[in-house]
Amino acid sequence: MNLQTKLVFITDADSLSGKTMIARLARDGTHFILNSSSGGLELSAELELVHRAGLKAIVVNIDLCNSHEIEDMLQHAEQELGTVDVLVHNNQEITPSTIEYGEEEQFLSSIAVNAKSAFFCTQAVGKQMMKSHAGKIIFVSSIHAEKPTGSAFTYSIAKGAVKMLAKEAALALGRYGVSVNTIELGPLPGDDERFRSTLSTLYDHYEYKVPDAVLGSDENLAELVAFLSSDDSRYINGSDIRLDGGFLLHYMNFKMKQP
Amino acid sequence: MSIAGKVALVTGAGTGIGKGVAIELARRGALVAVHYNQSDAGALHTKQQIDEFGGDAILVQANVAVKEEINQMIQTVVNHYGGIEILVNNAALQLNYNFFDYDEASFDRMMNINLKGYWQCIQAVVPHMKKKHFGRIINMSSVHSKRPTDFDAVYSMTKGGIRMLGRESAIELAQYGITVNTIEPGAVDVGKQSARESKPIMTAEDIAKLKKTTRSIRDKFPLGRVGRPLDVAQLVCFIASDESEFMTGSAIRLDGGSMLL
Repeated sequence: MNLQTKLVFITDADSLSGKTMIARLARDGTHFILNSSSGGLELSAELELVHRAGLKAIVVNIDLCNSHEIEDMLQHAEQELGTVDVLVHNNQEITPSTIEYGEEEQFLSSIAVNAKSAFFCTQAVGKQMMKSHAGKIIFVSSIHAEKPTGSAFTYSIAKGAVKMLAKEAALALGRYGVSVNTIELGPLPGDDERFRSTLSTLYDHYEYKVPDAVLGSDENLAELVAFLSSDDSRYINGSDIRLDGGFLLHYMNFKMKQP
Repeated sequence: MSIAGKVALVTGAGTGIGKGVAIELARRGALVAVHYNQSDAGALHTKQQIDEFGGDAILVQANVAVKEEINQMIQTVVNHYGGIEILVNNAALQLNYNFFDYDEASFDRMMNINLKGYWQCIQAVVPHMKKKHFGRIINMSSVHSKRPTDFDAVYSMTKGGIRMLGRESAIELAQYGITVNTIEPGAVDVGKQSARESKPIMTAEDIAKLKKTTRSIRDKFPLGRVGRPLDVAQLVCFIASDESEFMTGSAIRLDGGSMLL
């Protein structure tokens, strides 16, 4: 794929998905801006890999809900590495919460981390991309932008909001050559714990509800991110790409592919 | 249909769709709390219209961005009518700001009213609905929970959130006999009074462009007209009734088929 020398901005680079994307995209020769809450401490292996490949990475730790901080950071990065070609919004904060007893503070925090940051990153990066009349914006979303969790409602409504953000941006920025898409990812190993619910049986035997009984991985995500980052995905814009191995289509438990 | 004698709260009932919904619920015998925040004249007008045909309504004021005000409003309704069985979440802000004109304050304001406000109104009525093991919650969304607006990105983000709020609430509150459904109206003729802060959707340039093309209403609306508040109100009345008891977590697009063109 033609990603050589492209500049990719990844949010929450410290997460497993972030690290996996760095490793995957480095294989294609991209440079990076990495927002890292550890200030790069947790990325030592990935940064070494990037540098060994002769690629560059700027590590930052900024508030992604603050336009000024994002714009300042992009300005500095532009002097060093040019403008951003690909934004991967990779924030996934899942906190247990219920409609009945949820706390306002948690609600606002979840909306901020999962959705508001997506909006302000898109605004700031979008301005740059419009000028260069090219760019890719990818939101790592979730099957829970469609399926209720029964355990973390603030997460699913935030992802529902991001779904519409992507469609708005696909129009507003699409007229300037920018493509904007979401990846509705799930389930990955451990999601039964992350979305443990007393209401929904979605994650009971979840690995067998994927038709071929193999759960997804961060590598699967990274491959799709690489494809959507490339020019090969030119005509994909405003799409929600479900990356779930067919999990959400399953409903008859007696048909599960169990050993 | 059986909604006579039921207590309904309609938020944002001083204007547009909310006004139409409040009036129709009252006409069918519901006891209606007409909520407003700043549209006091509009809300009074809603109540007057209900009074004229002998319906039963009270006015309640609250800023739905503030939890304490929501709780106080619900308490007022419960004190007056002895309970609350139907909540129509309808109060919403639509600023029509350009994608790049939103700042943190305006973004937060939209989220706090349109999304947090809906959730906290639900949260506040649940204890009262639980007591009777009956409740009908109806969230007014928009076709823009599916189709982007192309004029207000944050508005549709809030509607995208409401889509999931409806689904999550439906599975969580079912155990209490409460159903939660969403209505997605398309264009609705709400008369002259639109929200005082909204920017116009079209620029002078857009209007000039539009005027150059000869268009029929059927180009965008297969039934040959836009929606009326009464169209929405009639669907609300069905969802609010006993007859809809098996329907929950649904989102009904009500746009005269316009999204299909």
